[in-house]
Amino acid sequence: MPKITITIDNRKLSVENGKTILEAARENDINIPALCYHDKVSHNTSCFVCVVKDTKTGQFMPSCAAIATDGMIIESESEEVQSMRQMALNLLLSEHTGDCEAPCTIACPAHAQVEEYVRAGRNKELLKALQIIKQRIPLPMSIGRVCPRFCEKDCRRNVKDQPVAINDFKRLAADMHYDTYMEDLPELNGKKVGIVGAGPGGLAIAYYLRLNGIASALYDKMPQAGGMLRYGIPEYRLPKQILDREIAHFDKMGGITILCNRELGKNLNIEELKNKYDAVAIAIGSWKPTSMRAEGEELAAGGIQWLEKIALNNWSGENPWKTIVIGGGNTAMDCVRTSVRLGSPEVYCFYRRTEEEMPAEQIEIDEAREEGVIFEFLTAPVKLTEKNGKKIFTCIKMKLGEPDASGRRRPLPIEGTEFDAEADTVIAAIGQKTAAPKGLILNRWGDIEVDSDNYQMADNIFSAGDCVSGPATVVEAVAGGRRAAMGIISYFNNEKYKESYIINVSRGHWQSLRPDDLIYLRDIRKSDRQKMHFIPIEERKKTFKEVTNSFTVEEIATEGERCYECSCTAKNDCRLKDFAEMYNAHPETIKGEKLRYDFDTRHPAIILDRNKCIKCGICVKVCKEVVNLSLIGFKDRGFGTHIDTAFGEVLPTSCKECGECIEACPVGALDWKEKS
Amino acid sequence: MIKRIKIGIGSCGLAAGAAEVFDFFKENVRDIDIVGVGCIGHCYAEPIVEVETDNGSIYYHSAKPNQAYLDKVLNMEDDFRLSFRPERSDRELPKVTKLAGKIDPISIDEYIQHGGYEAFQKALKMKPADVVEEVKISGLRGRGGGGFPTGLKWSYLLAQQSGEKVLICNADEGDPGAFMDRSLMESVPHQVLEGMLIAVRATGATQIFIYCRAEYPLAIKHLKIAINQVLDKKLNRINGQEIDIHIKEGAGAFVCGEETAMIHSLEGNRGTPRFRPPYPTDSGFKGYPTLINNVETYANIPIIINEGGEEFASLGTENSKGTKLFALAGDLKYPGLVEVPMGITLSEVVYEIGGAEKGSVKAVQIGGPSGGCIPADQFDVKIDYDSLESLGAIMGSGGLIFIGNNRCMVETARYFLDFTARESCGKCTFCRVGTKRMLEYLENITHGKGQPGDIDFLEDLGNKIIKGSLCGLGQTAPNPVLSTIRYYKNEYQKHVVEKQCEARVCNALVDLYLDQEKCIECGLCIKNCPVNAISDDFVIDNEICTRCNSCIEVCPTDAIGRTARGDASA
Repeated sequence: MPKITITIDNRKLSVENGKTILEAARENDINIPALCYHDKVSHNTSCFVCVVKDTKTGQFMPSCAAIATDGMIIESESEEVQSMRQMALNLLLSEHTGDCEAPCTIACPAHAQVEEYVRAGRNKELLKALQIIKQRIPLPMSIGRVCPRFCEKDCRRNVKDQPVAINDFKRLAADMHYDTYMEDLPELNGKKVGIVGAGPGGLAIAYYLRLNGIASALYDKMPQAGGMLRYGIPEYRLPKQILDREIAHFDKMGGITILCNRELGKNLNIEELKNKYDAVAIAIGSWKPTSMRAEGEELAAGGIQWLEKIALNNWSGENPWKTIVIGGGNTAMDCVRTSVRLGSPEVYCFYRRTEEEMPAEQIEIDEAREEGVIFEFLTAPVKLTEKNGKKIFTCIKMKLGEPDASGRRRPLPIEGTEFDAEADTVIAAIGQKTAAPKGLILNRWGDIEVDSDNYQMADNIFSAGDCVSGPATVVEAVAGGRRAAMGIISYFNNEKYKESYIINVSRGHWQSLRPDDLIYLRDIRKSDRQKMHFIPIEERKKTFKEVTNSFTVEEIATEGERCYECSCTAKNDCRLKDFAEMYNAHPETIKGEKLRYDFDTRHPAIILDRNKCIKCGICVKVCKEVVNLSLIGFKDRGFGTHIDTAFGEVLPTSCKECGECIEACPVGALDWKEKS
Repeated sequence: MIKRIKIGIGSCGLAAGAAEVFDFFKENVRDIDIVGVGCIGHCYAEPIVEVETDNGSIYYHSAKPNQAYLDKVLNMEDDFRLSFRPERSDRELPKVTKLAGKIDPISIDEYIQHGGYEAFQKALKMKPADVVEEVKISGLRGRGGGGFPTGLKWSYLLAQQSGEKVLICNADEGDPGAFMDRSLMESVPHQVLEGMLIAVRATGATQIFIYCRAEYPLAIKHLKIAINQVLDKKLNRINGQEIDIHIKEGAGAFVCGEETAMIHSLEGNRGTPRFRPPYPTDSGFKGYPTLINNVETYANIPIIINEGGEEFASLGTENSKGTKLFALAGDLKYPGLVEVPMGITLSEVVYEIGGAEKGSVKAVQIGGPSGGCIPADQFDVKIDYDSLESLGAIMGSGGLIFIGNNRCMVETARYFLDFTARESCGKCTFCRVGTKRMLEYLENITHGKGQPGDIDFLEDLGNKIIKGSLCGLGQTAPNPVLSTIRYYKNEYQKHVVEKQCEARVCNALVDLYLDQEKCIECGLCIKNCPVNAISDDFVIDNEICTRCNSCIEVCPTDAIGRTARGDASA
């Protein structure tokens, strides 16, 4: 064959005559993105993502169809061409509807691959589930018990009944395999990081560093590691023997040492750490109680400190007798329920708004109520005095006004409604803030200021967890810890870490969906969420024994059947997503109408979801030119153009299920129903 | 002495009631021939009756199927006489349309009497290459919109060594408001056929397809009759073989006017364009070398062969030769069809031929829905391919839509884009999604929901659609928007920033007000208001009002008008 010479992005190429520009480029390892191109069929030239510019004519053309001619000078990655591609991708995204990622994963602060571990659980493959979980959740024993379950709040199953009991998959998988499962760990590479704080944040940093061959030393001010998991979360929610097992794994990994009773600013010096280690990570948490702003508040115990005292006493202590806890968060719930267990005959929770506005998890409120806790809403503290050994707590009744910055209605005092309540113990569980020692850079809330990409504070100091975010959840601390670890790893490579740009086209929050909008990949019948196994109420009230037991493997498998598997079938295999990320295209850039098509799941093995279709035409051509069947064709014109079967019939009985169209589909419009 | 009476029964005449007039005249006139003819281009005067006498013809307008009217015609009274305005007659130059409306379209003999098929006979005696050369010399460029040199295209087909070569006549005239080709096919079908037969002689084509939109039943009927007459007279024996002539009726897709889409449609596939090259002259219908020309282009051919390429080229500008048909529509006094020499100024067409009053026309949209707007202050532009393009418009196929002063240019652009967005074949991303999104942004702007940055976005996206579309539809669809932004950016900005439509067209930006001083309290407005927005004491509640304008239309004293949003209550 005679050869011709063309130039692509300043590279001179010698190619066979008759090749398209795209073929010429690919043969020479120049990657031109293309969605509608398929090497088995005649060209479609519909997507225009493969567009290139002929600098001699100034014309843009689809490289998949344009034949390379001698002397051509082509631009493929110039700013102008990139801008064309980005626009093409933005346009495609603007009409594309799917769920690149399942809403549970999007909701999870740590972005755990929920659908995948739930599927493993459904298949009774709990070790596999644990492996998936641990990619993002290094503390599955604890988080499997104490997580407020962001994932379940966004679970699409909510449209129909109750969400899938996602967190229980973590708990069971960890219960069964945590002690024996060990990651494939690389050799230590000689770098070492000093981490201050051995709570969830610090442990997560150590974990991800170790996965990358980096050793660490964890310092903690308390006698034992675990942070809030040990000293803030009560035994009945997270037994400390479970926590011990969890932390033991870090020891087994090798290269992680834990040094206790070392407190930053007291017997630990930041400058020393900076010099001693290749990098330092601060994960000291957020432990300082917030003020009640009421006269005499020093007579009340701080919620976290009170719990810490009980924890140090191995979850035992004096009967607090009649107890009033101020606050509506999870710590307040921990305090009231701990008081019950210590023998208090009368436990109150005073909260200045109503139950609806309580930040505590509903399940915690419900369980507290079951255990006899009395809630007084719209009640705010005025002052605290002491008389005859009893605390006199003056409060005022409130009413709700206009919404405040948090979106919740602002509580306003009702004049003349002050009253006195008598108690033996008053606990203020209003909230906590970060108490950072000198030498750290703080933001206006007193939390540590870090770069939002790599969690770097300054120099070789990184930080994550509550001390960065303010008081939050374990799973958020773990997510932040991972980011800081990645930041440190990149820092060692003289790079700056940035989370890769990931697009997610969502079909919307479940509250905006109707049952008909849900996709049934499998036969999902109505089935109730598995019930939790509570220990008897009397045992709950009198002991610190864990309140619930884990599900059984059978129960988890049954629960797994309830999952809709919302994420796109082409989740890991979508060229639209890949190119959109490559060219920084975004589904929200161009707004406009999206047409809604019914999912066609009538075929036993194949799903046709036209909402994802980008009208590239590959399936039409593959079925016609490769399979010789022509079962799919285009219908209608303009924006309403879509693929369809003849007369809209079921993807036909004559379909050989050869999978050629599925294989060729650049997105998830045509796919197997069965997910692996 | 009346020789015969001709009644224009082209589609335009029929729409105005010419069929009834024709039937009535036929029934009630015994000794004079009543002949149905095509269109003479004066749409505003239809139905038109021509009385042929020894001393020339007298024309009558607004014909009625009754005795009184007939008597006036037979007595050649002055009433209803159609006098041709010199403003138009002095400027028009009927060459292609010379016989249109003058002869019986379905009589080959009458066509031949008027010199028809002489050019064809002449061509048969010429060498094919000489015919091509003559067309090249003429400088004729494709009249369908592309403006590609016809002779050059023919030479490509002639050069092809192939047993089968296909000739296609593009008669899928789809631009709204354009009816040049329809008029030619209805009025002088033989002239179109003659042009094609000459093309067969010149290029060695072996079969002919006429792709005509099904919405042109009369054109199809006349063509079919004409084809049969051609076959009867064996005029289709060219280059030693009999040429088949097929008519294919299009199913209504605008995009099938694009040549590669048309070929797909002819092949029985979905009418979508494909990337060129290969051009149809290399690989077209079923892979055969294929020549596609438009109706008007073919209709020019007999003239070129008859008078010679050089003579033809003596008319027009440097790069645009001959004459061009324009269909005048929109806000003007004398809508119709007119043939003018290339190089005439737009101003002459608008004010003299179209009869628009100075100052009453804001712009013209030239080149169909995907052409461009040319503002009044640019009307001294010469009508030729290059001058129009330099203003951001295109010659197109000859649709010329007059946009009156009372129109909103944003809304006008939206209106044109609405058509092209719908008619996109859906293949190219930029055209399918891009035109839809542009339309949505325009809708937002006309609804007062425009955002800062929208105009820039429209320009950016519009330019990318032009670059990123395979065919002429997508490559020109943004033109109305881009050209109106170019010339009327202030109107866009008013809509976006001030939420005002100065033309008071965009309903969302307009209030209705009732002038109490002019009001005679007749109550017609209240009666006609479909949403009860007018109170008993004649105050319009703009919260309820849907701006349907019913009240404005019925008010006998013009007491109700449209004003800026918010002004009515102020």
